[in-house]
Amino acid sequence: MKGEHIGELEELVLLTIGSIYQEAYALAILEEIKGQTNRSMDVTAVHSVLRRLEKKGFVTSEMGGATQDRGGRRKRFFSLTQTGRKVLDDTMELRLNLYNKLPRLTFSALS
Amino acid sequence: MNHVPPGWADRFLEWYCSPDLLEDLQGDLYEVYYSNVDLGNPLRAKWLFIWLVLRSLRPSVIRRKQLHKNSILTMTRNNFKIALRVLWSDRTNTAINLLGLTIGMACFLLLGLYAKQELSYDQFHAKKDRTFRMWLKEDYGEGQIFFNSITPLRFEALMEDNFPEVERAVHYIEENHLVGENDRRIDEKVAIISPDFFEVFDFPFGLGSANQPFYNRNSVILSERYAQKYFGDEAPIGQSLQIDLYGQSRAFEVSGVFEDIPKGSSIQFDIAISTENGDELYGERMYQAWFTVIPETYVLLKDQGSIEEVKDKMQDVVLSQMGDASYGDDPMERDQYNIGMQPLTDIHLNPNIPLGYAPVSNPQYVFILGAIGLLVLVIACINYTTLATGQSLRRAKEVSVRKVMGASRSILIYQYLTESSVLAMLAMFIATAITLTIIPAFNALTGSELIYVFEWGHLAVVVGLVIFIGILAGAYPALVISGFNVISVLKGSKQAPGGLNVRRALVILQFMITIFLISTALLMGDQISYLMTKDLGYSYKTVVTARLPHDPEANRLSTLIPSGMQNGELIRAKLEAYPEITDITMATHLFGSNGWVNLAYRDPKDVFRRFRILAVDARFVDAFDIPVVEGRGFEPGNGLDERQSIMLNETAARYFGFEDPIGKKLPGNDFGEHIIIGVVKDFHYSSLHSEIEPLIIAQNIIPITQGISDSDFSDSVAPKLIFTYTGAQLSEAVDILEREWTATFPNEELSFEFMDQRIKAQYQEEARMNQLISVATLLSIIIASLGLLGLIMLVVTSKLKELSIRKVIGASPLTLLMVLAKDFIIQMFIAFALSVPLTLWFANSWLENFAYQISLGPGLFLVSAVVAMGIASIVIGYHAWRATRVNPIQSLRME
Repeated sequence: MKGEHIGELEELVLLTIGSIYQEAYALAILEEIKGQTNRSMDVTAVHSVLRRLEKKGFVTSEMGGATQDRGGRRKRFFSLTQTGRKVLDDTMELRLNLYNKLPRLTFSALS
Repeated sequence: MNHVPPGWADRFLEWYCSPDLLEDLQGDLYEVYYSNVDLGNPLRAKWLFIWLVLRSLRPSVIRRKQLHKNSILTMTRNNFKIALRVLWSDRTNTAINLLGLTIGMACFLLLGLYAKQELSYDQFHAKKDRTFRMWLKEDYGEGQIFFNSITPLRFEALMEDNFPEVERAVHYIEENHLVGENDRRIDEKVAIISPDFFEVFDFPFGLGSANQPFYNRNSVILSERYAQKYFGDEAPIGQSLQIDLYGQSRAFEVSGVFEDIPKGSSIQFDIAISTENGDELYGERMYQAWFTVIPETYVLLKDQGSIEEVKDKMQDVVLSQMGDASYGDDPMERDQYNIGMQPLTDIHLNPNIPLGYAPVSNPQYVFILGAIGLLVLVIACINYTTLATGQSLRRAKEVSVRKVMGASRSILIYQYLTESSVLAMLAMFIATAITLTIIPAFNALTGSELIYVFEWGHLAVVVGLVIFIGILAGAYPALVISGFNVISVLKGSKQAPGGLNVRRALVILQFMITIFLISTALLMGDQISYLMTKDLGYSYKTVVTARLPHDPEANRLSTLIPSGMQNGELIRAKLEAYPEITDITMATHLFGSNGWVNLAYRDPKDVFRRFRILAVDARFVDAFDIPVVEGRGFEPGNGLDERQSIMLNETAARYFGFEDPIGKKLPGNDFGEHIIIGVVKDFHYSSLHSEIEPLIIAQNIIPITQGISDSDFSDSVAPKLIFTYTGAQLSEAVDILEREWTATFPNEELSFEFMDQRIKAQYQEEARMNQLISVATLLSIIIASLGLLGLIMLVVTSKLKELSIRKVIGASPLTLLMVLAKDFIIQMFIAFALSVPLTLWFANSWLENFAYQISLGPGLFLVSAVVAMGIASIVIGYHAWRATRVNPIQSLRME
């Protein structure tokens, strides 16, 4: 399962890619994360995470159209792959399972 | 929009970023930039852009050359794997190479450590760059040169008062004094140092303070080992220690304990008292004297660069201070009294400045050792190079297939360099372990005092050495192997293994070095045994000597010598009772010590004369069987002899220009009543490094000392008892001496020596060097033989078919041997011929150290040639002989 393990930031980026489907290029992801979590990163960090995710096969990318405010450079849009989606599901499930055990444990420990 | 991102940062991004990633990364950075510009903050946008460009510089982004696309790391891992496999699959060769490299490296590391230790003397003082030792060179023309690094006492004040550039000047004096209570007095070296000595030198204190080492003039400081020696485990501070200063035993209070002085220090002492005692020791007049030298003076400058200014001013200051001081009848002139300064770190390896208190090493030897370490290492590297190149044919197919698969030449070179580096690394591991374990054995064998202290820098050196050797040894084979022509190899046509001529040259070089080392070791051995066995002009076997005590009040030559001689008569009377003790005599100096009293004066013809003088008793000349060539020797009991007779050696007779010296006097006006009664044959009283100097032997030297103007000596002038022991057990002689000594001088410590040991000790440094070179030579022979072994095995394998065919046709075993060995024999002869001039050059420059030398004959070269060729033929012979015995059918049937 080693290859399917993802870190916290990776998870956040994956989720963001899923949520802003079709608009997910590096800067947009950055903005979204900033808006949702108020967490400030620089674009370099996002690029590095994206490359990692792509290498692991959780996301794919394709180049979009050129725009003027980028000096004529194209954007690279990312989208979730099946594996990526599955990893997110697994992670969520794992968390939920653990989380569900939380109150019972706490109460029993208290009583 | 007139704002654009900074061009250089943009170009930098384009340069390093891999093209796949460039477009969208650059696009994003532009977007960030322009959005910031739109916010009305172009400056911030610019800096942010630069910052992001730099932040983006990560391994995953960096572009790679198309060829290396699949990562250097992966290839390196692969190369390592292949290297280990190749090394393992050809174990014989690997073992030979590994052994050779290991020995070479161990040798290099050991000699390197030794050389480094010699070079790093006195480096631990923080102010070493500003610290200088003074020297004094008086030059009055006509060879009247007095050059000394021991200086007048007044130099300390002279430097501090007249030179604002000088921060501090301190004295350092070494003297022997008796230390301890009445019945347990030990003759110790006591240093007398300025109270501010430790402001200049860094010798850390365990107890007490370096700022104020002495409470007052009655304080003494000790090293830790001496505090232990005198006071055991008691707290040393405040303890009392008796020191006998010129007949007066004084109690000194311990005021400090300093850490034992490290080996790498020129200044070595264990007990020190303050120069505040100087008035008592030397008297007020000595502090004004210009010509009496006592201390070493060390100067700490405020600024290292100001040495030139001090030099420029020196003569002015000297002349202004000299006042009416003069030499002889002439007033002092400019540049006659020269004062100079030598950097502290220069002392240990500079033999051109006269010896002070600190012993000095010969820089020639440090250089020789370093060079030998390097040579042995080079031999080991050559081994690898020749063997690996010779093996290249085996690798031809592998290389060709790699090339067909698209490996570029640089990748192949990289692969082969990995191979040699892996081997070098393995060898270095073993060599380091060996070096560290054999240091004690090395010290015992060579009599050196090598101490290993780990420094992080050593790791860097080791790693650097591995890479360097890996590349040095592997470069040539890598070039040859990677240069194979693919098509011809794969078609099956056999290429000759590459670089045959280079390989021959390397083998020649290797043997040249080996033969050179053999010759050198032989040469040094010859010269040393010549020094040890040369007829010195007297017999000194089983001669025992002991320093005689003298009246503590007698501190002038004129009283000290007779008082010591009188004590000698006391013990002589007792020793004469033993039949196995013969030839009991006394003298002020012993054979084998340099620095006999040197006297000088100006004769009536105004010629400056210098000679040495020895005070003896009447039996001296007979006791040592020194032949008297003219006149007669001293007669015991002859009162005239005791008062005024003197003898010359042949050199002195020539030096003073006597046709017939007997009955004459020395040319000079002020000498006391004296007469020359005899001339002795020249004998080598000091070491064979220097020539025999004029010598005068007298029982009473006072008439002579009356007529001289200058004197200097560095050997003790206290009379010594000398006798020959004819019994079987030398230990018996020591027992007798100890028994009678204690009975005669119950309060005096006995210090005795054997004269032959003393004479041998003069050539200790040469003997040690010879040991080191012999070991290095042996190692180089082993390494070279290993290489030869590998080569002959290679030749045999590649020529097996040729040999078999020749054999079938009817060649004799001898012819076959010649086929195999011819090349090596020719190379050997060339190597030998080349080594001869090299050896001659070395021999001539080394033998200059000695006044008496062996003559270089062809014998030396013959022996080393025979040794080298003998070993080579043994190594080659066995394998070649086995090859000639091979059954042709077996080797020819294979295909």
